Formats: sequence, C-alpha cells, structure tokens
Amino acid sequence: MLALHKWKLLFLALAANLALVGSLASGDIKTTSEWNWLDIVGEGGLALLALIWLLLILHSRPAGRVTQFLSLGLSAVFIAGFQDWLDEFIYFPEGALWDHWIESGFMPIGLILLTLGIYHWHKEQLLITEQLRKRERLFREHRGLDFTTSLSGAHYLRVQLQHELAQGNQENPLALVLIDIDNFAQINRRYGNREGDNLLHSLSELLLLNIRRNDLLCRYAGDRFALLLPNTGKLMANTIAAEISQAVRHFAFKPQQQQDSIFHSVSIGIAFSCGQTAEADTPDSLIARATQALLHAKEQRDSQQLRAA
Amino acid sequence: MPRNSATRNNCAQLDMSESVEFPLCPVPPVYYERDSAIVHSHFWPAEFIDLAQTRAIPEHKLLRHTGIFCEDIHRPDHRICPEQLLQLIQNITKNTSADDLSFLVGHQLLPGKIAVISDQLMSSTNLDELIDALVEHQAFLSPLINIRRCYEGDELVLYWQDACGAEDSFIFLVEALTTAISSLARWRSNSRLPWQFYFSHKAPVYIEQYEVHLGGNIHFDCQRNAMVIHREYCYQPWTKNTHTSVENFLAASRNTVNIPTKGFLAAVYDYLHSNIATDPNLEQTAADFGMSSATFKRKLKKHHSHFQAIYDQVRKDLAVYWINQEGWSSEQVAKKLHFHDVANLRRAFKKWTGLTLLAARS
Repeated sequence: MLALHKWKLLFLALAANLALVGSLASGDIKTTSEWNWLDIVGEGGLALLALIWLLLILHSRPAGRVTQFLSLGLSAVFIAGFQDWLDEFIYFPEGALWDHWIESGFMPIGLILLTLGIYHWHKEQLLITEQLRKRERLFREHRGLDFTTSLSGAHYLRVQLQHELAQGNQENPLALVLIDIDNFAQINRRYGNREGDNLLHSLSELLLLNIRRNDLLCRYAGDRFALLLPNTGKLMANTIAAEISQAVRHFAFKPQQQQDSIFHSVSIGIAFSCGQTAEADTPDSLIARATQALLHAKEQRDSQQLRAA
Repeated sequence: MPRNSATRNNCAQLDMSESVEFPLCPVPPVYYERDSAIVHSHFWPAEFIDLAQTRAIPEHKLLRHTGIFCEDIHRPDHRICPEQLLQLIQNITKNTSADDLSFLVGHQLLPGKIAVISDQLMSSTNLDELIDALVEHQAFLSPLINIRRCYEGDELVLYWQDACGAEDSFIFLVEALTTAISSLARWRSNSRLPWQFYFSHKAPVYIEQYEVHLGGNIHFDCQRNAMVIHREYCYQPWTKNTHTSVENFLAASRNTVNIPTKGFLAAVYDYLHSNIATDPNLEQTAADFGMSSATFKRKLKKHHSHFQAIYDQVRKDLAVYWINQEGWSSEQVAKKLHFHDVANLRRAFKKWTGLTLLAARS
C-alpha cells in the first residue's frame, strides 16, 4: 500500500529536511552539556510516534478523502514535533519567529485535520460495519478471519454460539445449519487448489446473498460452512436451508480453464437449541448434533445415487 | 540366541546354531539421511510453494534458509534433501495463521506426479494393493515420515515413524499424510471407509479441520499416531480406474525412484524392533550399521535424536502392543524387554506412556 502514497512521504521528508536546514542556517548548535535529556526524549518521542502512526495508516489504507485528512493531520503534528525537537539542539536568535510558528502553528492545524479525518473515518466505518453485518455479530476479531472467503472461522462461531445460547430462552430458539459442498474434493483434484478456493469464495458470496440481515455465516472448515440463525424456528430454518440448496444448485461456476460451467449441490444438517431439555446446550453439543444431521443427509444422498445408478 | 532373524534388514537367514558373536546383520541396513538429496522438487516442494502462493506468502519469506530456488522447482531432475523440505514447512507454518494447510496439501498429494508410481497407486484394485504401493514408494511419497504397516488381530494398522528428525513439524506431516491416504482411498473406493484415526497429541483448537477433512472417528491423546481399519475392507474390490496420467506427470524410469525406502531414524527403529530379543545396545547397533559408536551417535545427533529415545520408543510400542493386543502378563513383557523385574517395567512404562500397567490394560 505504501507505494500508493510515495509522493506524500517524499513531500514530508522534504519538509523535515527544510526545517533542519533552515534551523541549522539560522541558529547555533548547543553544546552537549546544555542538552536536556528529558525534553529530547519527550519531544523526539512525540515526533517519532506521529511518524509511526502515519506510516501504519498509509500502509493499511487506500488513497481517498479520509486517508488524505489523516495523513495531512499526522504530517503536521510530526513537523511541529520535529521542529520542537530540533530546538533542543539549536539556539535560535531572539528575532527568528518562524521556528516558533512552526512549533505552535502546525500543532493545532494538524490536530484539527486529524479530528476531521477521524470523524470521516467513523462514518466510513459505520458503512463498512453494515456491509460486514452478515459476517460478524456485534464483535470484531480479525485474527480468526479466513483468507479465502473473508468469513470468520469455527472459533468465532463457537464464541457467538456461546453468547447466543447464554441469552436464549424457550421463546427464542436458535438454529445452526451446516452446509457441505458435495464432491468438493474432486473439484480440487481436477482443477487444483486455486479453482477450489475460487469456488469457495463465490459460494460464500452466494450464501451471504441468501440469508437475512441478522444471520451469521462462518466458514467452519474445508468445504463446510456454518450458518447461525438466531430467533429461528424449525419451519423458517428449513425454508432457508431449502432456499440455499436451490440457489447453489442454480449457480453456474466457471473455472478458468474450461468453457463449460460446473454445477454443485450441497448437503445440509440442521440442529436447534432446545430450551426445554434438562441439560442446556453447549456450542459443541449443538455443532455435534448438526454434524450428525449432516452426515445422515450425506448418507441418504449416497444411497439415492446408488439406487439411481 | 536371536529369536527374530532380522529379515527386515535384508539379512540372510542365519543358522540358529551359530554362535552369538556371528554378526546379526551381515548387510548393514540401507537408509537415506537428513541431507541426502532424495526429495523430488516438483512433488512435495512444488505442492507447498503452490499452496503458499494461494495464501499470499511472499516468496522470500517462504524460501528463507531453505537453499531452494524457485526456478529449480519444476526441473524434473532436481532434488532437495529432507532438511530443506522441513525448513520449507516451518517457513509456511510460521508465515500464516491458517490451520488447514496440512490438510489441503494432503488432499493434493496423492497419487503423486511420477507416472510409474501414480499409475501403480491408481491401478490398485483394493486397499491392500494400494497400501503395498504406498509402502514400496514411501521414500518418494512420504520422505519425512515413514509408514509402518502391521496387522493386529482383525485390523490393519498404519502408523507413522519419524524418518529424519521432523521435531515441530511432525504433527503437520502426520495430518498431511493421514489426509492423503484417507482421501486417496476414498476416491479409489468411491466410499467413505470407516477408518479410526489415532493421534498422540492433544486435541488441537482447530479440531474442526480434523472433522471435516478426515471425518468420523478421531481420537486424541493416544499412545501412537496411527490409522486403523478392519481387515475386511482391505480386500473389497474397487472398480477399475479411468484415471489417465495428466501431462505434467513425469514419465520416470524405475531407476529414478530407486532410493532406500526409509530414513535413518526409521531404519534404526526397525532394527531395534526386529532385534529386541537380543537386548540390543548402542555398540552392537552401531556395528551392525557398519560404523563406529562415535559416528553412529553423531549421526543420531544430526537427526535430532539419540539412541535411548528410539530404544524407549520401540520398547513402549512393543509393551503397549503385547499388553493390549496379546494380553500378555507383566512378567512376560518384563522378561521380553529385558527388565530385571516387573517393578522396573512399571516405572519405565509410566515414564513412556504416563499410564500405569493396569490402566493400559483396561
């Protein structure tokens, strides 16, 4: 990402150099005995931290208005801090006001720009959160994010299930749907990992389109997706499962190497949290029940295929 | 008097009336070492590099300290040594947080990319033949951990031996190979075979990967890493395979795959396993491997192991087998393993397995 912003960085380096050269030209260097170490570390630290924040932000963000504000603000803070730091080493003559201007003028300007940037960032973040809504529920954890599908993994699912189960009661049942792509291993064998990844990615997008706003989709592992349906009874869950199954069946996936589309089917296992049973459900018991249902569905499919053949 | 005539090590059958000084093993066992160039670059390494690229691991991080160059990977005659492959695996696991890579590699690994071998694997007509082919070509198919096949009662057992000192990567390799074999068997048999999977490590946090990629019956915290299936499945006929070699498969003559089948550590394990009746020691083992004790020790150290560790492993495996499968008494086991008395065996057994003899029996 840094390559996108090389002009900004070049300009900042130039400005810092100008400040240095200007200071050296107009002032006299202090002797070592006059150095105040606390100020040197304190003011130098501020400039250094501002620079680190700037690099982190530029490294992680595409260009745009928010980035512009944030980087301008942080640049100004850096320049002010840098000038402040320089006068720990250099005497400025009484008449020279410009160094004072840089120190005290840039800081508030920088902070105002930074505040503007953060305000717009906040608005942008709200929008992104809305977009991510079906991928995460009220809690963000980037470390478990799956590289291929950008969905959360099984760990996140367990945490969310725990959370939902703790809140749930008999009126608010919870459904867990496990979705497994049939014969996925053959796709991987035939077209390679890359196509397999593409298929998983496309299917995850497709599944996201077919679920409600408050549902959560995770990639459980391999070719198995997990769908958490809060406040959902048997009828609704079965309907959603059937819709997903239909959608996948009609999805024409196009591998890069060949013209023909390939079609897929999924096997689905559903488990419901049951408030009325004696022992309460745990995430693991719910997942285990859904897995059982899934394996059962797969067996049925296999035997149907055998009969058809 | 040796009861076991060490046929495993290609020894000629010895006349049992000969004196004990007669060398047990006139032909030293053959093996490859950590730094023998035996790993075909276009197979395991290419598979790993492909996968790492789909995970956006930068090339310089991937190949750091491996001594591998990307342009060599697809040269058909290029070889690297087990040590380099281990480093490559370490680099991959270090540079990604994904915990499914071992399983993904496993699914892709077999039948491999050398025509003669993959044809043999794919033309197998039942599980037994498939395992035969795997064991025969294991130095090529699985150079870092070797396969040991045995029958225990009604069951076929495949278990994994460290070939060259895999250390931290051992679990990764076991995951990959277990997936590879079950995946290939599933493909060829066109059904989900009822494997039982045993792992000696604790259940990992990513247990869902085991569930999805291996399926079925998975046990952790076991005494060994093994996959087990009832013998009846070994001879169930499979339908004829319509698979044809893909063009990037290499047509190689049998010569190019003619390398020792086992790594040094696995060879030492096998030797000790076969010669347990003679109460083997370091000096005798070194002599039978055709080298001095000092050289032998040095070689073990190079493979990140030592004599006692392998000997303990062998005795542990045998003790567990004799107690669990054969139902032997503790006295019998102690005598067989050359312990003075049962108390000593009990102490050692506790050290090896963390279990008491009684607990192991139940």
